[in-house]
Amino acid sequence: MFDRLHWIIITISIAGLFLLPVILAPFDLLLLTEILLMGLFALSFNLLFGYTGLLSFGHAAYFATGAYVCGYLVKHSVPFFLAILAGVIAALVLAAGLGYLSVRLDRIYFAMLTLAFSMMVYTIIFQWRDVTGGSDGITGIFATDLGIPGISIKLQGFSAYYYLTLILVAIAIYLLWRITHSPFGELLQASRENYQRLLFLGIDVRQLRWIAFILAGGFAGLAGALWSPFQRVANPEIAHWTFSATPVLMTVLGGYGRFAGPLVGATLFIGLEHWLQSNQRYFWQWLASLPLFPDTLVERQLNLWHLFLGLLLIPLILSFQGGLLASIEKIGKYFFPQRSQS
Amino acid sequence: MYRSKQFWGSRRTFLQQLGWATMGFLIACNSNNTQDKQSVRVGAMYLLTGGFATYGEFARDGINLALAEINQAGGINGKPLEVIFEDESDPMQTARRLVLQEKVDFLLGIDSSGNGEALVAAIPELEKILMVTHAASPKVTGELCNRFVFRCSINSPQNSAAGAEIAATEGYQKWTTIGPDYAFGRQSWELFQQALQERKEGVKFLAKTAFPKLGAQDYNSFITTLQDSGAEAIWCSLWGNDLINFVRQANSFGLFKQFPVYMELGAAMEVLTALGEQMPIGQWVGTRYWWQTPDTEVNRNFVAQFRQQYQSYPSYNAQNAYVGLKLLALAANTAGTMETTAVIEALEGLEYEAPMGKLVLRQSDHQAIANVTWGKTAASPDYNFRILEPIVVVEGDSITRSPQATGCKL
Repeated sequence: MFDRLHWIIITISIAGLFLLPVILAPFDLLLLTEILLMGLFALSFNLLFGYTGLLSFGHAAYFATGAYVCGYLVKHSVPFFLAILAGVIAALVLAAGLGYLSVRLDRIYFAMLTLAFSMMVYTIIFQWRDVTGGSDGITGIFATDLGIPGISIKLQGFSAYYYLTLILVAIAIYLLWRITHSPFGELLQASRENYQRLLFLGIDVRQLRWIAFILAGGFAGLAGALWSPFQRVANPEIAHWTFSATPVLMTVLGGYGRFAGPLVGATLFIGLEHWLQSNQRYFWQWLASLPLFPDTLVERQLNLWHLFLGLLLIPLILSFQGGLLASIEKIGKYFFPQRSQS
Repeated sequence: MYRSKQFWGSRRTFLQQLGWATMGFLIACNSNNTQDKQSVRVGAMYLLTGGFATYGEFARDGINLALAEINQAGGINGKPLEVIFEDESDPMQTARRLVLQEKVDFLLGIDSSGNGEALVAAIPELEKILMVTHAASPKVTGELCNRFVFRCSINSPQNSAAGAEIAATEGYQKWTTIGPDYAFGRQSWELFQQALQERKEGVKFLAKTAFPKLGAQDYNSFITTLQDSGAEAIWCSLWGNDLINFVRQANSFGLFKQFPVYMELGAAMEVLTALGEQMPIGQWVGTRYWWQTPDTEVNRNFVAQFRQQYQSYPSYNAQNAYVGLKLLALAANTAGTMETTAVIEALEGLEYEAPMGKLVLRQSDHQAIANVTWGKTAASPDYNFRILEPIVVVEGDSITRSPQATGCKL
């Protein structure tokens, strides 16, 4: 299943990711941390979407649970590693409860149910002012030390936090890879293709989906638990259904049919977002230098990068059907025709 | 059959090529944004998209006016000034990008209190000054305060206290409120209660209050709640589009004929111009700057300049943003350097003659102290919006919390 070329690629990328802080500017490092966290979030979503065939439109609820629990505990001086653990456990527990009810349905009904549950979580976060800070969220979440007793691991500066994220996300991705490539993962894919056949084989599909739901929630919780100390804030927007749409977009962009698709999608999406935000004013400057366009464009600096993002996403999604990764693989096959896909 | 298949095939190929062309375009474009910095840069963050974007646009206009004046007067420390405008909806990531990548020297802005609180807590690690020009949460210059953050605008405790000062002179004993259901609306009601209790004995605040969601469209049930509450007067902290929608619907219920409604941010130009004649007459409205006052040369010039440039009267957000950039430029020129600590020292205790009147950046919490204007809405044949008549100016010192009461330790 895994040949030598794959191992070489993975080893080189991990070594590269570890060496990057030496050469990268601080902001690129922040961007990379964001990509890792959103990538993990999208990967956890794809365990349900790509592998199990269930479109969850409320995945942000588990991300936000991880983020709020971890943020709240860090604010109350709980050691950071325990806070992360608590965030993950809280997300697992929530996913177990809501997942138990959600997996009774599938297709659009499942999507609507998960959406409804996540908006419930959002409302609780928004209204429970004493604990969650309501609309303001929990601000000033600083984790300065990992807090493992006996060993002092300081987390000052952006590169230390990047390393922590890299290690935890790498472990999580490895676990996800093992899960999807285990007999359990095969069953998930079988349930996606033909769940009635699985039922006839005597497999409890509902339980299968439930376990997948819990696992997906847990990994999303981990991404969230690392997110709030990274952003220094946990605000209710990360529980809103619009935030649930982000991993959907990333996964579709990168390709839900491949394990690494969501990671590729997250990289492309965040890269695009950042690039458009920092370059849109050069676009207005260029436009103003043309005849027929007013000079005031330079000083007005219209904020239209969302529009540009949409305009760029349309050709990308239309042309790379099945995701960017699948298209790259097709090109790879053109050059190495003998290699079969993994 | 064959032809249609070929058609599909060619479309696929076309789309595929389009996709790769887009990718190639992106990669090609990505290599041109590392320019050497020849200018002083300020990153301005406001609500520039969505329902409250008129506030951000007014701020941008105010800043561009200040920018032109500063550059005409020789820039900052001999270098030209440049402003980068950003939407504030992801405050942390945007501020980090502005400071670490665009290498801005100062940060300016923030409309929403929630965004303000998130950013203020995290600004020390970026080691740049943030001049807050709108977000009015008491925490910004209260429990979350730090040496990098200043606020040149009137905050919500000051505005509520000014409202209470006026309310205390009239006979109303029973009060209720309508406000947006988030931190600002709740805080505003608490602050108003405190301030009014300090100024008047025996006032009662009813438990029956109305807190519609921020951005709500339908206020009917809330207006009925207010009408049934048994109150004598209403404290209203709705702002922006919410206030506009509320006033329109309250008119059809006749609410303003039954109750005096004290609108904390009713005299915002964004609201007055949108409502026009729908704004009821004879209601008390507050603002954080009103272009008619004070009658000073600085203010008259500012209003004239602004009108000439943008064909509208400056809103409080425009004035605040204008003053914010002016203060940063003044302090950096006084300090003779862009170095953060030196500019902080120059800003602390700074006195400045702003369009809104004399303003002091208090050393103990970095909050601006200035007079606050309230007034009664009145019709005038010269304007197509309501103006204020009479105008009441409340002394800044009498409505500002003492340094001990703010909870700020610098």
